[in-house]
Amino acid sequence: MPQPSPPVRPLAGIRVIDVATVIAAPYCATILGEFGAEVLKVEHPIGGDACRRFGTPTKREDTLTWLSEARNKKSVTIDLRRPEGVDLFSQLVAKTDVLCENFRPGTLERWGVGWEDLRKVNPRLIMLRVTGYGQDGPYRDQPGFARIAHAVGGMAYLAGMPKGTPVTPGSTTLADYMTGLYGAIGVLMALRWRDQTGEGQFIDAALYETVFRCTDELAPAYAMFGTVRERHGPHIETACPYGHFPTHDGKWVAIACTTDKLFARLTNAMGRPELASSSLYGEQRTRIENRSDVNEIVRDWCGSLTRDEVLKRCNEADAPAGPLNNIADIFGDRQFHARRNLVSIDAEDVGETIIVPNVIPRLSETPGRIETLGPRLGEHTEEVLKSVLGVSDAEIASLRKKRVI
Amino acid sequence: MAGENEKEAAAGKRKTGHADTSSTTDSSAANGPAADEPAPPPAEGTRERLPLAGVRVIDVGTFLAGPYAACILGEFGAEVLKVEHPIAGDPMRRFGTATKRHDATLAWLSEARNKKSVTINLRQAKGVELFIKLVSKSDVLIENFRPGTMEEWGLGWPVLHEANPGLVMLRVSGYGQTGPYRRRPGFSHIAHAIGGLSYLAGFPGETPVVPGTAPLGDYISSLYGAIGIMLALRHKEKTGRGQIIDIGICEAVFRQMDEMAAAYGLFGTIREREGSGSFVAVPHGHFRTKDGKWVAIACTTDKMFERLAEALERPELASHTLFGPQSKRLAARDEVNKIVVEWVGSLDRAEVLQRCLDKEVPVGKLNSIADIFEDEHFKARGNLAEMESEGMKVVVPGVVPTLSATPGRITNLGPPLGDATYEVMRELLELSAQDIAALRQQKTI
Repeated sequence: MPQPSPPVRPLAGIRVIDVATVIAAPYCATILGEFGAEVLKVEHPIGGDACRRFGTPTKREDTLTWLSEARNKKSVTIDLRRPEGVDLFSQLVAKTDVLCENFRPGTLERWGVGWEDLRKVNPRLIMLRVTGYGQDGPYRDQPGFARIAHAVGGMAYLAGMPKGTPVTPGSTTLADYMTGLYGAIGVLMALRWRDQTGEGQFIDAALYETVFRCTDELAPAYAMFGTVRERHGPHIETACPYGHFPTHDGKWVAIACTTDKLFARLTNAMGRPELASSSLYGEQRTRIENRSDVNEIVRDWCGSLTRDEVLKRCNEADAPAGPLNNIADIFGDRQFHARRNLVSIDAEDVGETIIVPNVIPRLSETPGRIETLGPRLGEHTEEVLKSVLGVSDAEIASLRKKRVI
Repeated sequence: MAGENEKEAAAGKRKTGHADTSSTTDSSAANGPAADEPAPPPAEGTRERLPLAGVRVIDVGTFLAGPYAACILGEFGAEVLKVEHPIAGDPMRRFGTATKRHDATLAWLSEARNKKSVTINLRQAKGVELFIKLVSKSDVLIENFRPGTMEEWGLGWPVLHEANPGLVMLRVSGYGQTGPYRRRPGFSHIAHAIGGLSYLAGFPGETPVVPGTAPLGDYISSLYGAIGIMLALRHKEKTGRGQIIDIGICEAVFRQMDEMAAAYGLFGTIREREGSGSFVAVPHGHFRTKDGKWVAIACTTDKMFERLAEALERPELASHTLFGPQSKRLAARDEVNKIVVEWVGSLDRAEVLQRCLDKEVPVGKLNSIADIFEDEHFKARGNLAEMESEGMKVVVPGVVPTLSATPGRITNLGPPLGDATYEVMRELLELSAQDIAALRQQKTI
């Protein structure tokens, strides 16, 4: 279908201030930036966002996490602990649509830039407030991190071998990303409301509750039947075979037979269709009762073949299986290449080519994009103060000297 | 007989007054889908404080990957029509713990919240025709069939786009709509593996485990789906043009992996399983208390370790010569962890938490679901919502995130199969009672 001109991204014209740190609230701003918002990363003049020191160092004295996740942002330094800084910040908020922050509850209020202060400055403001525990409730003042959130939210309890030490559910920053996603949903809802009514609002998102929200029927099953779900290692309680199985070449595959039909396909892949007969293991109930036998059959089969061979046979039989990819596997995976899930970006001032995950989700008409990697500290301070607030050269020099910016 | 029951159910629903959903249906049925231009600002009290009021969503997906996006839209005011096969319905109805309602597990009740069920058989030509009519009166369509399936039924994008040029279509699949694996069956468990998350869950050198919950990837891909839909609705309102949002569950999972790709790309670093700890910080992990419970402690910085040393009443541990700097703690990982293991193991959980919190050490209970129900903070935040479904009390997770001016809400739990079929066929598609009876007889609806 012919198109008149490249479409404008859906958030063009929206200005976002990201005064948050590390990943949770900043990831919300990252997504908004990928889809066209102008994102001003407001940082402390000395040191900046702690994310600049989180992860693997680069030649530029920040980290790969920073380069990837501060993509598309402009860095503006303002010291919010100084009255002149607060004044500048308020002026900037007055000209902004969305503010993302993740200080402990009460911190911005103490500096005179809490919700009640800022809504006076900008009644149309949308403010995302991310914390470990939320803006209210008894734990509101406790320090919150993703690891703690995984624990409090009930996710860590479920990860690990039965009765063994609970493990990290894959990634220590998972709750940060998930909260960033919920934050972005909240901001987009609030923008829609504001565009319809002119009314701003704040969004209160807590790391622990975003994790808890993603635990399917854990809560209703406890409330109704007192069921306390435990750790099941690589398996789950309600289906078999379902888990991770080692292959002959020392790699792993994931197999998930959640229905009888899928198990029948797996037995075809194994060349043993008789296993799926109703007198043997055709029914989920029987398989669950004979879990260790069924798992052993699958384990023996996987262990007799290389990973590629297991996957080839499963794919031919349409059985649900996949490789347990490490990052090296992912870089070699055809699907990731075909979908352009990895993009190389020349980071000139770092002197390297950096490979980062591409934008998700993929929109057909108004795709998001990565324009720049994480900025240098204060790279855009002057530009933004001049263009947005009309601050003069002399004032900028004076603010710099006083280390307000 | 079934028809009458449903009529009653639909009528009863209106009577019991979920004014929010049914009144929206009625009014927007007359006007067609939400207008392309923004609504005029409402006078105080004249409209519901829900950002998606007036938006109609069709959810023809199954299980969670995609349908959870519809759930979120419904919480914030969209009318969600769950289109299901007339005989069996969404297999999610049979996924998880059974209830006394024969067509609803607990998982269904919780995650099909706020939806209305409409049965249409898409394997019949007449069903396809009805579906297209429904799409022409909707704003958003959510599906998660294997790529190519909808096209086989005559419901590909060109057809739907022609029926409704402003349509926003979310397509969630295991691998996405393109690429060599697109036709493979997609499941969250497999997507965790492909996306690199499962490889990282577990102890070094040991069996990788499920990263917490089995459907995590379904939830994460739905969160991206809801974001895509909100962006696309915004674009539609400016330009009138709809579009497709294409999400592979495995790529949504992979997007969560911070700098893993960049570090491999630049240095060839392959991240491995780190058990309950962290490669970049010590002590940072899960520790067992004297009463056999667990706590999480996360000392990401030297300052936090200093506070922990105070909680241990051994401030000297944080001295520069001992374990003050992170680099020294990382080098002496086992030794530092042993000190924390022993200290935590000598006290009950409540005591560990109290001493840590007194010193502002980042600490938390490793909650089981039983702990969560006892946890005062969950209560205070309204994270557990008590709802009713046909005489059953059901406790489900509350709405996340919390919006100050337009909070989301749960109006009803997962609907009975086909509870809104009659209402939608009659009022939205304007079929006669006779037509509806005939469609039922042919098992089209």
